Amino acid sequence: MSSPAPDPMDGFDTTIHAPNRLRICALLDTAGEAEFATVQQQLGVSASVLSKHVTVLADAGYVEQRKAVRDTRARVWLRLTRPGRDAYHAHLAALRAIVGS
Amino acid sequence: METNGDAIRPTAQEALAALSDAEQVKASATALAATPWPRWFAAALTLYTAAVPPVYGGTLARHDWLLPQGTWSVIMVVMTAAYLSLFVVAASNWRKKTGVALRFDVLPRNVTLPLVIGLPVVLLGSALVFRATREPLWLFAASAVGAATSIAFHLVFVRLHRKAS
Repeated sequence: MSSPAPDPMDGFDTTIHAPNRLRICALLDTAGEAEFATVQQQLGVSASVLSKHVTVLADAGYVEQRKAVRDTRARVWLRLTRPGRDAYHAHLAALRAIVGS
Repeated sequence: METNGDAIRPTAQEALAALSDAEQVKASATALAATPWPRWFAAALTLYTAAVPPVYGGTLARHDWLLPQGTWSVIMVVMTAAYLSLFVVAASNWRKKTGVALRFDVLPRNVTLPLVIGLPVVLLGSALVFRATREPLWLFAASAVGAATSIAFHLVFVRLHRKAS
């Protein structure tokens, strides 16, 4: 007996759906890895707002941070984890399903 | 105020707006990732690409061609080492400037795949043809193809970056 096709709405992720977090995921999915300051600039948010959202995504296991020293200053680079990438794509599929329904 | 998205599913309109927002961020990140190399490195890459066929041809020649074979081999090693050093510097500067990771999959695969396979075949294959025929024209033709491809790719990135910005 075959199992029923998965419902795209199952991929709807409340952690990702918050606008700034969706934008962070969109940026990291495209760029692969981005410096904290670059993400901040691209999204037009303050460092504290970005930091708050990155913490939520990191706690969910969706984003990982890497520290690198540049010009004697520590810079933080952000990237999506594999589960983060999968969750983001599943969330996009859910949004498309909502639009299409 | 932004919430944690507590289990309220969006309407079709809200979902469309979210998708459009994500698409906008994606376009802006694509523009960053498509930032072209600085001109000095694009020039170095073009020179290196153009130099490979005659230098590799010299190392593979059955008899000495213009220079002793050993000299061609030394030139090949030195210019490759110089090119790789410049690449490391350029890549590091590029990352600092753009703030994103260097990716080689910015262009569509149907563009990059023929290049990744075709260019080495042309550049290195011309040396083998030269070895078999002793006709240096093959080397210079491959050299011209390599240089033209390098310049064309640089211009594609300049255009893509401008278009996406």
